[in-house]
Amino acid sequence: MTTTPVQHAAPGTRTRRARLPWQRVPIWALMLLACFLSVVPFYLMFVWASHPSAEVFTFPPHLWFGDALARNWQGLMQVTDGQAPRQFWNSLYIALISTLTTLFFCSLAGYAFAMYDFRGKGALFAFILGTMLIPPLVMDIPSFLVMNNVLHWVGQPRALWVPGMANAFGIFLMRQYISSALPRELIEAARMDGATEFGIYRQVVLPLIRPILATLGVVTFVGAWNNFKGALIMKLSEPDTMTLPLSLRRLGGGATNVNVDWGAIMMLVVITVIPLLIVFLLASRQVISGLTSGAVKD
Amino acid sequence: MSQRTPTSAPPRAPWSYTRFQQRFAPYLFVSPFFLLFAVFGLFPLLFSLFLAFHLWSPLDGVGNWKFVGFENFQLALGPTDMFWKSLKNTLWIGLLSGIPQHLVALPLAFIIHHSLRRFQGAFSTILFLPYITNAVAIAIVFATLYSERLGILNYLGGLVGLDPVRWLGDPNMVPYSVAAVVFWRYVGWNTVLYLSGLQAISEDVYEAATVDGAGAWQKFWYITLPLLRPMMFYAFTLTIVGSMQLFEEPFMLLNDGGGSGGAGLTSAMHIFNTAFRDLDMGYASAMSWLLFLAIFALSMLNNYLFSRDGGNR
Amino acid sequence: MKKSAAFALATALLLGTAHAQEKVTLTVAAFPSLDSAIKAILPAWTKLHPNVTINLQAQQFADHHNAMTTALATGQGLPDVMAIEIGYVGKFAEGQGLENLNSAPYSAAQYKKLFTPFTIAQATGSDGRFIAMPTDIGPGTFFYRKDVLDKAGVNPLTMQSSWENYIASGKKIKQKTGAYLVNTAASVYNLVIRTNLKSGEGIYFDKQNNLLVGPDSARFVRAMTLAKQVRDAGLDAKIGEWSNEWYDAFKKGTVATQFSGAWLQGALQNWMAPDTKGLWRVQNLPEKGFASWGGSFYAIPSKAKNKQWAWEFIKFMTLNQGSQITAFQDNGAFPALIAAQKDKAFSEPVEFLGGQKARVLWRDAAAKTQPIDVNKYDSVADQILQTELTNVLEQGKDIKQALADARAQIARRAR
Repeated sequence: MTTTPVQHAAPGTRTRRARLPWQRVPIWALMLLACFLSVVPFYLMFVWASHPSAEVFTFPPHLWFGDALARNWQGLMQVTDGQAPRQFWNSLYIALISTLTTLFFCSLAGYAFAMYDFRGKGALFAFILGTMLIPPLVMDIPSFLVMNNVLHWVGQPRALWVPGMANAFGIFLMRQYISSALPRELIEAARMDGATEFGIYRQVVLPLIRPILATLGVVTFVGAWNNFKGALIMKLSEPDTMTLPLSLRRLGGGATNVNVDWGAIMMLVVITVIPLLIVFLLASRQVISGLTSGAVKD
Repeated sequence: MSQRTPTSAPPRAPWSYTRFQQRFAPYLFVSPFFLLFAVFGLFPLLFSLFLAFHLWSPLDGVGNWKFVGFENFQLALGPTDMFWKSLKNTLWIGLLSGIPQHLVALPLAFIIHHSLRRFQGAFSTILFLPYITNAVAIAIVFATLYSERLGILNYLGGLVGLDPVRWLGDPNMVPYSVAAVVFWRYVGWNTVLYLSGLQAISEDVYEAATVDGAGAWQKFWYITLPLLRPMMFYAFTLTIVGSMQLFEEPFMLLNDGGGSGGAGLTSAMHIFNTAFRDLDMGYASAMSWLLFLAIFALSMLNNYLFSRDGGNR
Repeated sequence: MKKSAAFALATALLLGTAHAQEKVTLTVAAFPSLDSAIKAILPAWTKLHPNVTINLQAQQFADHHNAMTTALATGQGLPDVMAIEIGYVGKFAEGQGLENLNSAPYSAAQYKKLFTPFTIAQATGSDGRFIAMPTDIGPGTFFYRKDVLDKAGVNPLTMQSSWENYIASGKKIKQKTGAYLVNTAASVYNLVIRTNLKSGEGIYFDKQNNLLVGPDSARFVRAMTLAKQVRDAGLDAKIGEWSNEWYDAFKKGTVATQFSGAWLQGALQNWMAPDTKGLWRVQNLPEKGFASWGGSFYAIPSKAKNKQWAWEFIKFMTLNQGSQITAFQDNGAFPALIAAQKDKAFSEPVEFLGGQKARVLWRDAAAKTQPIDVNKYDSVADQILQTELTNVLEQGKDIKQALADARAQIARRAR
C-alpha cells in the first residue's frame, strides 16, 4: 500500500474535542510561530526583489514591498545579458523532460514488477532497491569522467536528465501503487482481447495510475528544477545551457569585482522559487505523499 | 514477494509473436533501469573503486594511472589531514541540525495530529515549503540575513542590545549558522514524515488508554513513541544519509573553501575541491568511499540502537 | 566556374586574408569582472568583424577556473578563447592543453616586449611554452584614507616603512579615530607571504618542488606573527573581501587602509564608495614590496574549433590600445599593454584620489613586480595555510606549531 498522509480524520475522533479555548492558545502560538519561521524567508525574498539594489542592505531593513520590481527586472536582464528568460527555459526544459522520461520508464518498470511474474523478478527488484543505498556522492567523480571522456555529454542538458530516467525510487513508488491499485483481472481481460503487452500498458495501465503519475511527476520536477551540483559538475555554463541555480551561483556566489546588483539577484531568486511554489501549492498533497511514501513499505 | 504463479507457463505451444512478446515484455520493461545503471551506476562505481587505489590526475591522460595501493586511504586517514577536519565539520553540522530537527518535528507532528487535525493539510503545506525550495536560492536569502553589519538578524539582536554576531565569519559560529539553514529546510519534512506515521496508529489504542486513565503525556510516552519507532528509524536514517553528504548550503553560504578557517568545509565539499579543483581524483575517490563507509557505519549504529531493546515491531 | 570560385574562396581562407563573409561563432569563457570588459569592447569588435559572433560564457570566479581546469585535463568542453586569472595562469602554463603562442601561426614572441614583463614570465611554463596573452594587471598598492590618517596624526610614509611601524600606526589610528587599521588580519599575512620572494621561488614551493612552508620559514613565521599582532591589538575589522560589510566599511570610512590592486580605485569610484571621493590616497606597499593583485590573460585551447579567430580576438583584446583603454574605463582594469599605460590618461591626476598621479605610481610598481613561480599544489597549500592561519588568529594556536602542522599536511598531499 501507499501512504496518504494528508487524510482527514476519521469521524469517530471528534469526541475528544471538549477542550477549553485558553488551553489551545499556546498550541496555536507555537504552530503560528513555526509557520511564520517557515514562510518568512520567502516573504523577505519578495520584499527584497521589489526594492532598489542599494536598499536590500539598509538599516533598518525593509519589511514591506517597494516599487522597484520593474527596475530589478531590467537589472536582472542586464546582469544576465538578457539571458534570464533563456535560463528559465533551460531549467524548465530539463525539469520537464526529466519528468516525462521518468514517468514513462518508471511506470513501465513498476508495472512489470507489479503485474508480471518472470524469472528473477525478486532478485532484480531487490537489486533495484539496493542501489538506493549507494550515496550519490560516490558517483560524482566517475560519472563526470564517463560523461566527459566516454559520452562527451558534458555541457549538455542530457547529462542531467538521462541517468535518472529510470530510477529506483520511481520504480519502487510505481510498483507499490500499481500492485495495490490495479486488479490483475483487468490486465488478463485486456490480454484476452488481443492487446499487446505494451498496448495494455498504454491503454489500460496508464489511465488508471494517473494519481501516482502526478505524484512522481511533481517530485521529479522539483528535484530536477533544483539540481545545482549536477549542473555545476556537468558544466551547464554556456548561455545556451545555463540553468537558474548556476546563474544564481554566478551572480550571488561572491568574489567579483562588479557592482553586485542585489535587487536583480533577489529577482532571480524569486524567479527560481516561483515555479516551485506554484507546483507545490497546486499539488502539495501529491508532493508530500510522494516524498514520504518511501517511509511505508508493504 | 514473487511466488511464481503457474498461469504464465502454459504447456508447450508453437512459437508465436503473441507468446514471445508476452514472455519478454517484462524484461524489456525493466531493462532501461539496468542499462542506465550499468552505464551511469555500476561502471562509475567500479571505476571509482579503481581510482581510489591509484594516483591520477586527468592531466595525466586516461590510462596513465599509477597504482599506489592504500596510499590514498592512508593519506585521508592521516591524523592531520583535512579529511578528518571535514568529517568532523560534517558530523558537527549534522548533529547541530539533525537533533533539533527531530526534537522539534516530533512534538509539532504530535500537536498537529492531536489538536489541530482540521488544519493539518494547511500546516503540512506551509511547513513543507522550505524542503522543496531551491538550496541555492535560499542560501542567498540566508546569507543576506546573516550579513554581519547589514543583516536583519544582527539588526534584531541590536534592538535587544546584543553585539553583532559574525554568523559566517567566526569559525566557531559557522557550523551553527549552516546548521540553522539545514534545520530550517528539513524540520517540516520530518514533521510531515512523523505526521504520516502518527496517522498509521490506530485510534483504538488511544481510546483504550483513555479508558485506563492515561494522561496525554503518558499516551505520548507509552503509546505514540513506541509505535512511531519504525518511522523514527526511517527519518533518522534519511537525516544521517543527507547530513553526511551536505554540500549545497555550505557551498553557497561559505564558498568552496568552507569559509573562515574551513569551519564549514564538509566532506562533500572537500571531495569536490580535491577532485575538481586540485584534480587529485584518486585521493578524492578514496575519500568518497571512506565517506560511504562512514554513512554505512552510522546507519548501522542507528539500526542497532533502534533494534536493541525491542520496541513494538 | 563555380569550382574555381570555391577554390578561390578556399585559398583566401587558407591565407587568412578574406575571412569576411564566413559566419563564425567564437566561444569565449570568462569570469567577472573580465566579462564586463569584454562586453564593453564587443561593439568595436563587431564593427570590425560583423560575421564573428561572440558567445560569452561567464561563471563565478572559482567555478570558472575549476571548469577550465577539468576541461583542459579531459580535453572536453573547451571554449575557443579561455580567460585565465593570474593566480591560475602559472598552473595552466605547467599543464598541457593550451596552444604554445610562441610557435606559428601565432608567433607571439614578437609581442612580448609590448607587455609589462612579469606577465610574460608568469604565462610561460618551465619548458618555455608561452600560453596566454596578458590583458590586464593588478599592480598591488596601498590605499589609505588621508582624512583618517590626518586625524590620527599618522604619516603614511611611516606606515609604509616597515610592518612594525604599520601596526604601531594602526594602534594610534584606532585610539584616536576608532577606525580599524585593515579589513582583516589575513590580508597582512597574504601580502607578506607574497612579497620579498627570492628569485625563482614560488609562494609555497621552490623550483625544485621543495616545500618552503614550515616553522623555520622566516617569511611565513613573520606573516603569521604580524597578522596575529594585528588581530590581538584589535586592529582588524574581521571583514571578508567582496562582502557587503566590506563595501559598507569603505563607504563609512571605518577601515583606514586597504591593500589591493590598482583596479580597486575604479570599483571604489564607480560603485563601492563614490561619496568618498578625494579622501583616498595610494602609495607603494610596505617594505618596498611589489606584488600583483589580480590580472587576467587569454589563452587558446589546443582543441579549440576556431583557433584562427580566437587569435584574432585575443590580439584585438590585448594588443589594441583602444580595447585596453575601454576595459580600463569600464572597470578599472589596468592595461598590461605598456603602450596603453602611456596613454595620456595615465599621467593625468586621479580626481578620486585627491588629484594624485596614481597611475604613474602603479605603472612603475608594475614594472618592478616579479613573476612568481607556481606549483600544481599551490591551491592545496593555500587552503591548508588559510585554515592554520585561522587557527592562529581565532583559536590562539602557536604559530610554529601551526606551520609545522601545515607543512606536514601539504607534504602529504603534494605527492
